[in-house]
Amino acid sequence: MAEVGKKHDTELGSRSTRTLLLQLRRSSPLLSLVALLLLWQLLTSAEIYPAFIVPPPAAVGEAFIEALQSGLLLKHLSVTLEEMFFGLILGLGIGLSIGYAIAKMPILEYTLSPVIVAFQSTPIVAYAPLLVIWFGSGPTSKIVTTAVIVFFPSLVNTIVAVRAVSPNLRDLMTSLNATPWQTFRQLELPSALPVVLAGLKTSATLAVIGAVVGEFVTQGSGLGFLVTSARNQYDTPLVIVTVLTMTAIALSLYSFVVLLEWRWLAWRRRSKP
Amino acid sequence: MKLSLRELVVDFKTPDEGRLPALGPISLEVSPGEFVCIVGPSGCGKSTLIRTLAGLQRATSGSVAGDDVPITGPLATLAIMFQDANLMPWRTVIDNIGLPLELAGVDKARRHAAVYELLPQLHLQNFALSYPAELSGGMAQRVALGRVIVQRPKALLLDEPFGALDAMTREKISLELLDLWREHRQTVVMVTHDINEAVLMADRVVVLSSRPGKLVADIAIALERPRAINMIYRETFLRLVRETRAAIDPPDA
Amino acid sequence: MRKILGRALISFFIILSSVGAQADSLQERILLTFIPNIQFAPFYVGIADGHFARQGFDVTLEHLQEPDVLDLVAAGQADFGIVSGEQVILARAKGRDVVYVYEWFQEFPVGIVMVSDDGGADLENLTDMTVGIPGRFGASYSGLTTLLQSAGLSEDDIELNEIGFNAPDVFCLGAVDAAVVYVNNEPLQIRKRVAAGDCGDVREIAVVSVASRVDLVSNGLIVSADLAGRDPDKVQRMASAFNSALKATINNPAAAYLASGTFVETLPGEPALLTLLRELAAEQAVFLETDPTREEIAESRSDMLVLLADAVGSDDLTQFEVLLRTIALWDADTLGHSDLSSWEAMSDTLRLMGLLSDDPPDLSASFSNQFVTGIGE
Repeated sequence: MAEVGKKHDTELGSRSTRTLLLQLRRSSPLLSLVALLLLWQLLTSAEIYPAFIVPPPAAVGEAFIEALQSGLLLKHLSVTLEEMFFGLILGLGIGLSIGYAIAKMPILEYTLSPVIVAFQSTPIVAYAPLLVIWFGSGPTSKIVTTAVIVFFPSLVNTIVAVRAVSPNLRDLMTSLNATPWQTFRQLELPSALPVVLAGLKTSATLAVIGAVVGEFVTQGSGLGFLVTSARNQYDTPLVIVTVLTMTAIALSLYSFVVLLEWRWLAWRRRSKP
Repeated sequence: MKLSLRELVVDFKTPDEGRLPALGPISLEVSPGEFVCIVGPSGCGKSTLIRTLAGLQRATSGSVAGDDVPITGPLATLAIMFQDANLMPWRTVIDNIGLPLELAGVDKARRHAAVYELLPQLHLQNFALSYPAELSGGMAQRVALGRVIVQRPKALLLDEPFGALDAMTREKISLELLDLWREHRQTVVMVTHDINEAVLMADRVVVLSSRPGKLVADIAIALERPRAINMIYRETFLRLVRETRAAIDPPDA
Repeated sequence: MRKILGRALISFFIILSSVGAQADSLQERILLTFIPNIQFAPFYVGIADGHFARQGFDVTLEHLQEPDVLDLVAAGQADFGIVSGEQVILARAKGRDVVYVYEWFQEFPVGIVMVSDDGGADLENLTDMTVGIPGRFGASYSGLTTLLQSAGLSEDDIELNEIGFNAPDVFCLGAVDAAVVYVNNEPLQIRKRVAAGDCGDVREIAVVSVASRVDLVSNGLIVSADLAGRDPDKVQRMASAFNSALKATINNPAAAYLASGTFVETLPGEPALLTLLRELAAEQAVFLETDPTREEIAESRSDMLVLLADAVGSDDLTQFEVLLRTIALWDADTLGHSDLSSWEAMSDTLRLMGLLSDDPPDLSASFSNQFVTGIGE
């Protein structure tokens, strides 16, 4: 009886250890976040920098709640989100369609590549002020900066993805007398989707940069403005709250694309049993 | 469907604007419902012949015809199957098999009915909703075969369809193909590099020379149908294999 | 093992701190705002003519954003910085303990330029006018708020347009009726355009400076309260060095312009202009030997401009004129001295702008005249 009980105990023990390990693994991203917070708290407690340069987490938390309650954060957040939304649609729309055209017609790449490469290798921060002069200090200029920064990765990924479509499957579609639209819808689109979505992850995070760069140039509204204005009022906790909000937007967009991948690319998770 | 090649020549363009002869001139006639295997040394233009018949490759001179109508592009009645199963990894087994019907505008219900009817013959009834990544090489090839059969074509063009499979699977699936063929009686032109396979399956074995491929032998296979695996031990079978091999590699060459 | 590690760490820190200390006694950073510009001439003179060196400083200049200058000084990362008094008030309200020890600009440099048919300027006329401003931040914005307040107006009475630092273009295109400007710079450019008939149908402009209405504290030297308490001698030496460089610049702008050439790459420096400036600088040095009064020196500066204008094209002279006009904002009987009333006026403006809460900050701790008094003649 005792033997059995002992055996039972060890089994139970090993199982609970395993469950614990599993739970630890599941929560490890959370753990790294907690570790980061602890490190931050430790750094501020050590007073290497005065609190007005590196404010403690609690002060940032307070600033967050205050900015939330006063509506300040949401007001500027919604401005930035709107600019990003339209910028993403514009930039992705142009990037995807030009990318597709280039992939199908190599002569286009030959003609357009100097312009596109020049466009890409010029840092947006340098000519963002010009965009503001051309498109005005309203939301349009920020939508354009976002679109410009989003455009390139979506373009390149589209070209790569459409070129990578299996020539054998193209033969198959031809042998089945598929129309150009059917080839696009049933072959090119699903085949290119993984690479295009990977590019979308990059674009999504870049979109935040685009909008914020635009807002830095014209002072008015949006998170870029809020960060400058907080800085000018020596409100470091609010600066950090705003920066973290930008991070949160980028992460949410990234996660949204991951979600799309999960739904649309379910087949990639399948493998031989 | 009757398939005919008349003085067919296919050249390829080389990068320096020259011309590389790949095939022919060659003339060949395949009767309706006949099973013809094409063998020859590698690079003899077997695949080019199949692709030209399928309307995927343009003839440089001469002509190809199906039931005396010149073939200038892909036909719905002429289905081609490649060595690679060539499945769409994002489609399930039934959706891969149903692709030709879907492209032809057949509605979902009728498409599924047609596909599910085929699954048992293909031994795929338990894999209807699997994705290609979950299939073995043999099963993937069965799906590819299903995708060809489902079109109810009058002729099948098979380009080394089992070349990538292991010997056991290959034997098994070859006989399954013969079963299917017996039922539907399409014209079949199959390229293979396996002489045993050719003799076991075909009514006629056509031997091509090395590049540019010309017809060097046309051997009738006088074995009764249905074919069975134990026929390979028969004297007739062995003689036919020897004869075919000699045509590919002439002893005095 | 732990002992060895401890010793290694200690010796590492000793090396580090000795390197730091050595650099400290030689090198001194002064943090400025904006970009290298003729308006920073006293610093160029201070370096070129050894005013800093005579007090034991080997000065390097860095240009940063104003809040960054302030935070670096407050955190002890740099000992000296130049910011406006308004930033000192705002930053002190947010826990940065800095002290303003030397008032460089005696007059607040912002003003408003507007069309004037008779040369007269009336702020009340601004009602319902379109007014351009670089942006709703910094000295331009606080200057405008003060001006409107002094005329009994508020921002709601005018149409405010953010135009960046493009006042001359936007004003002359007629897109705004008035513009907030730096009185030592843009009015000069606009007047030149008016004279050239290149400013729409504008015949005459008028400038109302903030300083003519209200005495607002402006740019000056800041240190951390910690440094002021710990090493007052160092602060005193810097105040003395800067005072001496500022005085030299005010007294001999020709020499100051020449000294600035190495620091401001874009400063016009045609050989003819430089030769003439060298002659003028030498003559001015002789003149200064005679112990002239402040008024006499001011007159000598105007004479310089007349002489130069006869010999050199007016485009090449713009930056020299900017220097002269800026000197007018610096010059005073007692350089460096700061008045509590100018701090109170600024604090009122900031409260009006909603940048400062209602509890009154301790303005008397924001600045100190101790180091100005301590400058030996």
